[in-house]
Amino acid sequence: MGSLILEALNVRVEGQGDKFLVFAHGFGTDQSAWQRILPFFTPYYRVILFDLVCAGSVNPDYFNFRRYTNLEAYVDDLLNILDTLGVDRCFYVGHSVSAMIGILASIRRPELFTKLIMIGASPRFLNDKDYHGGFEQEEIESVFVAMEANYEAWVNGFAPLAVGADVPAAVREFSRTLFNMRPDITLFVSRTVFSSDLRGILGLVKVPCCIIQTSKDVSVPASVAKYLKNHLGGKTTVEMLRTEGHLPHLSAPAMLAPVIRRALSR
Amino acid sequence: MVSDHEQVEEMARSFNRKVHFHDIPDAILSSIFSLITDTRSRNAMSLVCLKWHLLERSTRTFLSLRGNIRDLVLLPTCFRAVTNLDLSLISPWGCSIPDSSLNTTVLAQVLHWTFPSVVTLTVYARNPSILRLLAPQWPYLRQVKLVRWHQRSSTTLGSDFVALFEHCHSLASLDLSHFYNWTEDLPPALEAYPSIAASLSHLNILNYTSAQGFKSHELLAITSACPNLREFLATCIFDHRYIGSVGDETLLSLATNCPRLSLLHLVDSSSMSAARGDPDNDGYTTEDARISQNMLIEMFSALPLLEELVLDVCHNVRDTWIALEMLNSKCPRLKSLKLGQFHGVCKGIDARPDGIALCSRLESLSIKNCADLTDSGLISISLGCPRLTKFEVQGCKKITKLGLTKVASILRKTLTEVKISCCKHLNTVTSLQALEPIQDSLQRLHIDCVWEMVEQSVSEATSSAKSPGFKCSEKRRGIWEETNLKKKYKKYNFNGDGYASSTWAKLQYLSLWIEAGELLNPLALAGLDDCPMLEEIQIKVEGDCRHQSSPSSPDDFGLSSLRCYPRLSKMNLDCQTAIGYALTAPSGHGDLSPWERFYLNGIEKLNLTELNYWPPQDIDVNRRSLTLPAAGLLAQCRTMRKLFVHGTASEHLLRFLLEVQTLRDFQLREDYYPAPENDTSTEMRIDSCSRFEDALNRRAIPD
Repeated sequence: MGSLILEALNVRVEGQGDKFLVFAHGFGTDQSAWQRILPFFTPYYRVILFDLVCAGSVNPDYFNFRRYTNLEAYVDDLLNILDTLGVDRCFYVGHSVSAMIGILASIRRPELFTKLIMIGASPRFLNDKDYHGGFEQEEIESVFVAMEANYEAWVNGFAPLAVGADVPAAVREFSRTLFNMRPDITLFVSRTVFSSDLRGILGLVKVPCCIIQTSKDVSVPASVAKYLKNHLGGKTTVEMLRTEGHLPHLSAPAMLAPVIRRALSR
Repeated sequence: MVSDHEQVEEMARSFNRKVHFHDIPDAILSSIFSLITDTRSRNAMSLVCLKWHLLERSTRTFLSLRGNIRDLVLLPTCFRAVTNLDLSLISPWGCSIPDSSLNTTVLAQVLHWTFPSVVTLTVYARNPSILRLLAPQWPYLRQVKLVRWHQRSSTTLGSDFVALFEHCHSLASLDLSHFYNWTEDLPPALEAYPSIAASLSHLNILNYTSAQGFKSHELLAITSACPNLREFLATCIFDHRYIGSVGDETLLSLATNCPRLSLLHLVDSSSMSAARGDPDNDGYTTEDARISQNMLIEMFSALPLLEELVLDVCHNVRDTWIALEMLNSKCPRLKSLKLGQFHGVCKGIDARPDGIALCSRLESLSIKNCADLTDSGLISISLGCPRLTKFEVQGCKKITKLGLTKVASILRKTLTEVKISCCKHLNTVTSLQALEPIQDSLQRLHIDCVWEMVEQSVSEATSSAKSPGFKCSEKRRGIWEETNLKKKYKKYNFNGDGYASSTWAKLQYLSLWIEAGELLNPLALAGLDDCPMLEEIQIKVEGDCRHQSSPSSPDDFGLSSLRCYPRLSKMNLDCQTAIGYALTAPSGHGDLSPWERFYLNGIEKLNLTELNYWPPQDIDVNRRSLTLPAAGLLAQCRTMRKLFVHGTASEHLLRFLLEVQTLRDFQLREDYYPAPENDTSTEMRIDSCSRFEDALNRRAIPD
C-alpha cells in the first residue's frame, strides 16, 4: 500500500532542511500550483508535494466514488502519505479544501502537525443564521440542479456549462477552479464540499494555526477568517494579504511567501 | 494454310491483349514507387500484395517515428531504405532518450541496424547525451536538424554540437531554427572543428525558440569559419543602440566571408515575435538602421550567386531605390526578395520602372513596413516584375485597393500566392475585391479579418431581397449589418466593375489573422463564399482577452461558418497570442475556459481530419492548457485523424478524446520556450501521456 500511494498521488520530496513542510493544493489545481512558491522554501525545509486524488494529473481510475464521499477519505490519503514517508512532525500549508483536510487531520493526529497554515479556508460555505459563509442555499442549489439535469452532457464534457457567465455570480469565483476537474468528479465533490460543515469540530483543534486571508476572496468572506480565529481550539493568528483573489500562490507568490515564512518561524 | 492463318490470328490476339501493371519490370515499378511521397498513399500501396509491400518499403526514404520511447526496441525492420529519419516526435514529446530507463547501448545498436542508410536526421536533443549516443551510429550524416524547446542544460558552451562534429565528417547542413541555445554556443564549436565548418553549405540559425539575435562578432566568427556556405539564415540585432548590432561593416564582411551564398536570410530578433503591428502606425521607426545604400550595393556585388534574399530590419533603411536598382545587375540570379522596413523601394513616378521594379527576374516579392509605397509604386513593380508568382505586402499604409487591383490584373497570368496584412486601407472586403482579377488562379492567400463597414458600393446594391442573415450580437465590434445585401450583391452583377460570382477556383490554402473577440462569420460574405478546392486553413487569433467581457453561451467565433468550403480538411487554429487568465482571474473577470468554448464551438461540423491547436495562454504563469469546454468540443469531431495540441492538458480531459473513433495520432507538443519541465507541470507527467496513448492505440480503427 505504501509505495502505491506515493506513486499514485505523484508524491515528491524536494529541498533540504531538517523540518518537513507539506504543501496541499485545493480543488481544480494540482501540485504545480505551488511552483512559484517552492523556491522560497526548498533551501530551508524538506518540502513534500502531492496531488489530491481528484487532480487532473492523477490516473482517473483511482477515484473511487464509494470511498471519497466525504473529506475523511482525503484525510486518510494524507496520513497514509506522511506515514509512508516516515514523517513524525511537519508543518502543513493547505489551500482551500486542503486547509479543511488539514484541520481534520490535526484532530486525528495532533502530534503530527507542528503548525497549520491555511489559505482561503472556510468551515462552511452556506450562510446560516448568524453565520455568513458567502453562499445562499438557493444559489448553490440552482447550480446543482443545472449540473445534474445535464449530467450526461456534463460528463461528456459537452461544454454547456463552462465556468463564468453560466453560473450565478457568487458561485462563479469559487467554481472557477472546481470545473477544471473531471466533470463527474466535480459534481460529486462539489456536493461534498458545499454540504460540509466543520464549524462544530473547530474547537477540537489543538495545533497552532495561521489563517492567511486575501483582501478580496469571493469564496471566503472576511468574516470567515474572524470566525475561524475565534473558534479554533489552538493558538490562532490571522495574516492579511494585500492582494485579491482565491489563489495567491499563483497570482502573488512573492507577496505570499514571506508571510508563510514568518508564520512558520513563530 | 489453315494452321498458318490460325497462327497469325493467335499472334494478333496476343498483341491485342492489354499489358498488365504486373508486367512492368521491377526496375521501372521501383522508379514509379519512389516518386510517390504521400505517406497515406504509400501505406495503401504496401497493403496490395507482398511484392508491392517489398517494393514500397525498398523505396521509402522518409520516416517519422511516432511511437512511445519504451517501445523503440520493437522497431519494425522493413524500412531499411530510409535515408531521412525524424526522431523528434517520439512520445512523450520532448523526452530525453538517454535519460529514460532504457538500455542505451542496445537502443543505439537497434537504431543503427534498423536504419543503416540514414543521412538526414531530425532529433529532439534535450541535452548533449542523445547526440553522443546517435552520432557514432550514423557517421555519414549529411543533414541534421536539432529540436529543443526546453531549457538548455547547464553545460559548457557548444557541448551540444561536439558529438555531432566529432563523428559526422560529411556534415553539410545544420538546422538549428527550433533549437534553443545561447548565441555563444555555436561559434566556439565551429572554430574547434574547422573541417566541418568548412564543409557546411547550409546553416539555419534563424531561431524561433527565442528572441535572441546573434551579435555582430558572432555572425562574423561563424561566417569566417564557414566560407563555403550556400545558404545562411540567422536572427540578428539591427538595432544600433545595442552592443553587437549589425550594421554596414558587418553586412559587408559577412558577404565577403561567404561569396557563394545563394540564400541569405537576416531577420531582426524583434520580428520573430510575430506580433502583427498597428496599421495606423505611419511606418517609420524612431531610429534609423546603420545601413547605407553604398554598402548595400557593395554587398550585392559580393554575392553574385544570390537567388533568395531576406533582409528584415527593425529600423528604417531609407532611399533604398538606389541600391535596389543595382540589384538586378549585381545579382542576376535573384528570384526571391523580402525586405522589412526598407523605404523608397519604388517611387513609381510616371510608371517608369525604378527601384525594385528593375528586378525583372523576381518571382517572389515581400514588402514589409514600407512607409512610402504608393499605388503607383505597386503598378510600377507589377509592370517591372512580370514573373512574380508570390507577392506579399505588410504594414504599408499608403497602398489602396486601386493599386492592388492593378497588380492583380497586370500579373494575373503568374500570381498564385498573395499576402495582405496590416495595411490600413485594405480591409478584408477591399482586399478580396482587389484580387478579383486572379480569382481563378490564386492558390494561396493570407488576409487579415478586419470587418469595417464597407463603403458606398454596398449601399448601391440595395434590393429588397431577404436572404437569411444570421444573428450577430450587437456587442461585438465591427459587426456586419448589411449581410443580406452583400450576399445579393455578390451573386448578381450589380456593380459596373464586372464582378462575376466570387468563386476562387484554385484556392487551396487560406491563412487568416483575426483580433481576439472578433467573429469569423463575416468571412464568407466578405467575398470568399465559394472555394471548391480549399483544403487547408490557418487562423491566427491575437489580442488580450483579459480586458474584454467573457463571451457568453450563444455567442461563438463562427468556425461552423467554414462549412461552406466542402473540401476543408486541415486546420491550424492558433490562439497562442490570445492572452487571458488561466486560473488567477481577478474577481469579475473571466478566465480562458469560456474563450476556448467561444473559439472551438461548432468545430465538429467541419469534418476536419487534421487539426493543430494552440490554446490561448496565460503569460503570467506560462500556461497554455486545454480546459473542459475545449476537450469536450474537440471530442465531438468525429472525423478527426490527427490532433496535435501545442500546450498541456490534464489526463482527465484527454480521456474525452478517446471517444473520437478515427483518431490515430495525438500528441501534446509544448513547442514554445520554455517548454514546461516534467516536474514543474504535473499535467505533463510522462505516465499520463503514456497511459493516454496506450488507450488510444488499443482501440480498433474503423477505416
